[in-house]
Amino acid sequence: MIDFTAVEQGLNLLFTDFSPWLVVVPGIIIGLIFGATPGLQISMAMAIFLPMTLYMDFVQAMLFLTAIFTGGSFGSGIPAILMNIPGTSSAIATAFDGYPMARQGRHNQALGIALASSVIGVLMGYMILFVMIQPLSLMVLRLGPAEMFAVILWGMTLIASLKGEQVLKGLIAGFVGLLVGTIGFNELGMARGTMGQTYLLDGVPVIPAMMGMFAASELFKLANKGFIVESEASRKVRISEIFAGFKMACRYPWVMIRGGLIGVFVGAVPGVGSSVSNLLSYVETQRRDPDPASFGKGNPKGVVASESANSTSEAGSMATLLALGIPGGGATAVMLAAFAMHNITGGPQFIRQQTDVVYAIIFANFAQVFLLVAVGLLFIPLLANIIKVPMRYLIPSVLVLAVMGSFGLTGNMTGPATVLIFAVVGWLFRHYGYSVPAMVIGMLLGAMAEKSLLHSHQISGGDITYLFERPVAMGIMVLMLVSLFGRPLIARLGRKRSVSTDASS
Amino acid sequence: MTTRDRDYGDLLVLMALAGFTLWYLFDAIRVSSAVQNLLLILPLALIVLAIVLLELVMRLRKGTLLARPDAEPLRQTLPVVGLFAAYVMSLETLGFDVATVLFIAAFLVLKGERNWLLLGGYSVAFGFGVAFFFALMLPYPMHMLILQG
Repeated sequence: MIDFTAVEQGLNLLFTDFSPWLVVVPGIIIGLIFGATPGLQISMAMAIFLPMTLYMDFVQAMLFLTAIFTGGSFGSGIPAILMNIPGTSSAIATAFDGYPMARQGRHNQALGIALASSVIGVLMGYMILFVMIQPLSLMVLRLGPAEMFAVILWGMTLIASLKGEQVLKGLIAGFVGLLVGTIGFNELGMARGTMGQTYLLDGVPVIPAMMGMFAASELFKLANKGFIVESEASRKVRISEIFAGFKMACRYPWVMIRGGLIGVFVGAVPGVGSSVSNLLSYVETQRRDPDPASFGKGNPKGVVASESANSTSEAGSMATLLALGIPGGGATAVMLAAFAMHNITGGPQFIRQQTDVVYAIIFANFAQVFLLVAVGLLFIPLLANIIKVPMRYLIPSVLVLAVMGSFGLTGNMTGPATVLIFAVVGWLFRHYGYSVPAMVIGMLLGAMAEKSLLHSHQISGGDITYLFERPVAMGIMVLMLVSLFGRPLIARLGRKRSVSTDASS
Repeated sequence: MTTRDRDYGDLLVLMALAGFTLWYLFDAIRVSSAVQNLLLILPLALIVLAIVLLELVMRLRKGTLLARPDAEPLRQTLPVVGLFAAYVMSLETLGFDVATVLFIAAFLVLKGERNWLLLGGYSVAFGFGVAFFFALMLPYPMHMLILQG
């Protein structure tokens, strides 16, 4: 599984010359800033700085880009915790418990937990990649569209049913989100639900919609509050508490390992990646916890689950990129462009012929982890001061950032208009108890779900028995039914049994 | 339940979601009734409509169809929502720079800031600063009223 000669050559590539390392710290800082600024994406940072890699050799370019990736995946958790705005879709679940923690004055802890989980996540991800790169690449090839659709539907159902007491409203929100996600052209070139607007031909811009539903609607709700954290004593930024949070994350090794495994395997599925893995990990952690009701109210395990999964997804998507030459998401798509700029084609041949380079990238990421701790600890106190800002200053400032960021994503007024429309939708959803995350995830996955279903239909020729030939897809469907109906069914059986016991006694 | 306790908003939101689903389904059918086009949309829309119906029946049975939610009344937040809407809609006319400065200043006044120096200073510094930063970073032209010149 491990080629030790290539390992030695990989280490030589990294340590015979110090120059590859010069770009790592700037890369992490760029990633942190872009990740922590709502509306600026990690992929945007990588795209902006991609031309610079022309002046670097391939290993140095990869180190620079993966450093941006690593810094960005942690950075996106910072606004999720402090402002309930996931910097990117990979930090959605971080906001579920991170933001309630901040509102309780435990923002230092939450940031420390996020940093530790990210750091350990990246480390774990690349360790798994180091051992598994070859078998993993073979496994990814076996996942077809039917399995992809099953994973999406499963994740969707789990997320929609998160709010225990309002499952129906959660399901409505999630499924309507899936429908919204299919607006625009489908794979066959048919445009649905566009109302004749050319702006909608590519679909509803999901990230501006996400900004509206998550950030703006929450800010509307907080408009009458003085500060994010009401108690003045709790607003202090304390390095000691950030360290305490760092240590606290290590108390949940199983949550981290589960998140890591979900992250690597889901991250390796092209097109799914960290946007789904953080949610799956969160939902699984909540489902298995003895106190699931505490999630969404500031349970540190929620932050650990999300951050460990989205950080390990980086390694998963790198596996697909290196082994198959397929980008898992926006960030790896930019890396693929860097491959092309250096006349390198990813895929099984690349792994076989340039194993030393692959190992060098993996080892460099081990080192990046420690640099991320140092840079992260320096930056967190700076960024955490945000909670000291009165809400009357914070709210318009963040709304402005969301509007400008959304303009940056679409390049026209569609972005700001989408933020406004979905801010109002989110505001009404929050007020009447509909699940905002379910709707957002639905929108994110709608087009992907339709594409997977269409491909399955084309492969099977419309024959439903095709599903029986896909045991993995069947298994996931069964898991979905169990997670949807299992708990209420067991509760009902338990109630019946206790009633009959009472009657007989 | 007295008339004052009644809240039609929840029912309206539910009906709006069902209405959107129906409209979208018919729009998709209008475009093409081919299986490939409706493969996901048709079953999903039917599921949504069935769940909406189930929700209505359950609320009718519980007598909570028009129950008021335990949350801050919507009208308390309405001015903020209105101000934000005005901001977004004025971007093309006033430009990102001026609209942003005015939005921040109006928000601060609305929320009780009476230190005029701080109010003016912050609105101008933040508004122009952010507009300038994004205009610099983004590859597309951003409409500006003052900074452009």
